Amino acid sequence: MSRTVRAAALAAVLVLTCRGHAAASALTPDPLGVVATVPAAASPHWVWVNDVVFAHMSDGQALLVDGDSGRFLGMLSTGFAFARVVLAKDGKVIFSPETYFSRGTRGTRTDVVTLYDPVHLSPVGEIAIPPKRAANMPMMADSELTDDGAFLLIYNFTPAQSITVVDTRSRRFAGEIETPGCALAYPTGPRSFFSICADGALLDVHLDDAGHVTRRIHTRDMFDVSSDPVTEKGVRLGSRWLFVSYGGKVYSVDITPRGLEPGARWSLVSDAERRQNWRPGGLQQLAVHANPDRLYAIMHQGGPETHKDPGKEVWVYDLRRRQRVQRIALRSPAGSIQVTRDDKPLLFAAFMGSTRLEVYDAKSGAYLRSVENLGTTPTLLVTP
Amino acid sequence: MSRFDRWMEASSRSVARRTSRRGLLGALGALLVGVGVLPLLPVARGAEKPVKGDEPEAGHPEAQDPTSCNYWRHCAIDGFLCGCCGGSASACPPGTVQSPITWVGTCHNPADGLDYVISYNDCCGKSSCGRCLCNRNEGDMPLYVPFRSNDYDWCTGSSVANIPYHCSTARVLARAT
Repeated sequence: MSRTVRAAALAAVLVLTCRGHAAASALTPDPLGVVATVPAAASPHWVWVNDVVFAHMSDGQALLVDGDSGRFLGMLSTGFAFARVVLAKDGKVIFSPETYFSRGTRGTRTDVVTLYDPVHLSPVGEIAIPPKRAANMPMMADSELTDDGAFLLIYNFTPAQSITVVDTRSRRFAGEIETPGCALAYPTGPRSFFSICADGALLDVHLDDAGHVTRRIHTRDMFDVSSDPVTEKGVRLGSRWLFVSYGGKVYSVDITPRGLEPGARWSLVSDAERRQNWRPGGLQQLAVHANPDRLYAIMHQGGPETHKDPGKEVWVYDLRRRQRVQRIALRSPAGSIQVTRDDKPLLFAAFMGSTRLEVYDAKSGAYLRSVENLGTTPTLLVTP
Repeated sequence: MSRFDRWMEASSRSVARRTSRRGLLGALGALLVGVGVLPLLPVARGAEKPVKGDEPEAGHPEAQDPTSCNYWRHCAIDGFLCGCCGGSASACPPGTVQSPITWVGTCHNPADGLDYVISYNDCCGKSSCGRCLCNRNEGDMPLYVPFRSNDYDWCTGSSVANIPYHCSTARVLARAT
C-alpha cells in the first residue's frame, strides 16, 4: 500500500470513528437558569453547620450537609454576629435571628428573624425585632423555640438583659421580657422557659397564649457559681436540662409540676481521672440521645481554665445509671458535637479552628467520613 | 461616657477587686502566641500546637510586649490585640470607637509584682482586625456572669459602638486591692 493510500484509509477510519462517537454521546445544550432544590423531606442525618465567620462577622453562614453522603446541600447567608438557625417543629420553615447594618459594618442597625424556605433555601419573609440581639460566642440558648413551636425566644444583651418573644404563628414580634441579671433562654414547656442568673439561681418564666408574662419566679440557687460554675452549654432530654461544670460535675434541672427543681448531681470524671486533669471543654461540648438515654461530652486533659478547649475524645454516659459506657476517640480535636435523633444516630464533630466536619456512628463510635472545606469557623451544629 | 456607663465601669471594677484571681495564676496557660493566621478563634487551642507555660517571668520579653498574647495584661483577653492593629494595649486603632463597657480581669504584672484590674474595652465600628488573635481564660465566667465573661462582643450598649467588633484593648484601671 502506498503512503498516500494508507493516509487516505486512516483518515476515513478517523472520520467514521468520530461520527460514530458523536452520534452516540452528543451533548444537548444546558438550559439557563436551573436552580437546584433541597429534598422536601429532611433526612434525620442532615446537619446545619452554623458559622459566625469570626474574621468577617458581617457574613454569617449556615451550611447544610447530608451526614450519610457527606454532600454539601446548600447554605444560607445570615448577617452579622450570627448564632444559629432554629428549625420549625414541623420542618416547614427555618427561623434565623439576624443583624444587619445599612452600610455593611456601620449605619443603621436592623435586627430581624428571617424566614427561609427549607426547599429553596431562600428568604420568604422576615419579622422585625428590637435591635438588641446579643452578640456573643454562639450558644444554642441564644435562640430557642417553646415546646410547641409557637414562640421563638431570642436573648438580648445591650448590656441590659432581656428576651425577645416572636409569635411564629402570626409571624409577629410579640414582646420583650426583661431578665435583669439572667441570661439566655432554655425552654421548659409550650409556654415557659428559664434563664440562668449570675447568682446561680434560675428565672422561671411563664407566658400566656399571646407571649406575655403571667408568672416569673426567681428560684433558689441551683448552681455553685463561685467555685466551679456550670457552663451555659446545657442540653435537654425530655423533662431534664443537663448542665456540666468546668470541673465535670453534672447538674440536672428537672421540670416538674411543682416547678424547676435540682435533680441528681454526679460527675463525668472519677477521682483518678480528675487527678489526671480530665475535664469537659469546647463550645458545644454536650449532646444527648434518647432511647437509650445517653449523654455525649467532649473531653480533654488540661488545667482549670481550659473549659473552652477542644478535645480528642467523646465520652458517652448512660444517664439512667450515670455511668460512662464508652470512650470515642476522634480523629481531630472537636469543640462542637451533635447527635442525630433517629434510631441509627450519627455523631457529628467540628471545631472552630478547622473547616472539617467529621461523622461517626454514634452507637459504635466508628469513624464514617469527613467533609472538608466547610465554612470558615464552624460553631454550632443543629440537626432536624 | 454616660452616667450609666460610668456606673457599669465602677461596678465592674468593684467586682474585679473583690475577686482577685492570683490563686489561679499557677495554671495560666499562655497560648496562641504571635497568631496572625486564620482561622484561629477564641477557643482555637488544639488547631495550633499550644504554647503552654506558667506566668511570664519578669525578665520574659513577651510579658512586656503588648503585641504578644503572653503580655501580662492579657490574662483574660479574648480577641484580636489592638497593639497589632494600629492601636496599642490601651488605645484603639484609627477610625474605630472604644466601647465604654466591658469585662474586667485581674492580672499580675511580673515587672513590679503587683496585681491590677484590667479592663478589656473592645474597639468597634469596623470589620475584624484579624491579627494577633489571643484567648486566655483566667477567671473567665459563663455568659450569665456578663462582666466576667469574655464571650460577649462588648461593642454594644452605645449608638456609636454598636456592634461590629475590631479588636480588644487591655487598659489598666487600678491596682487590685
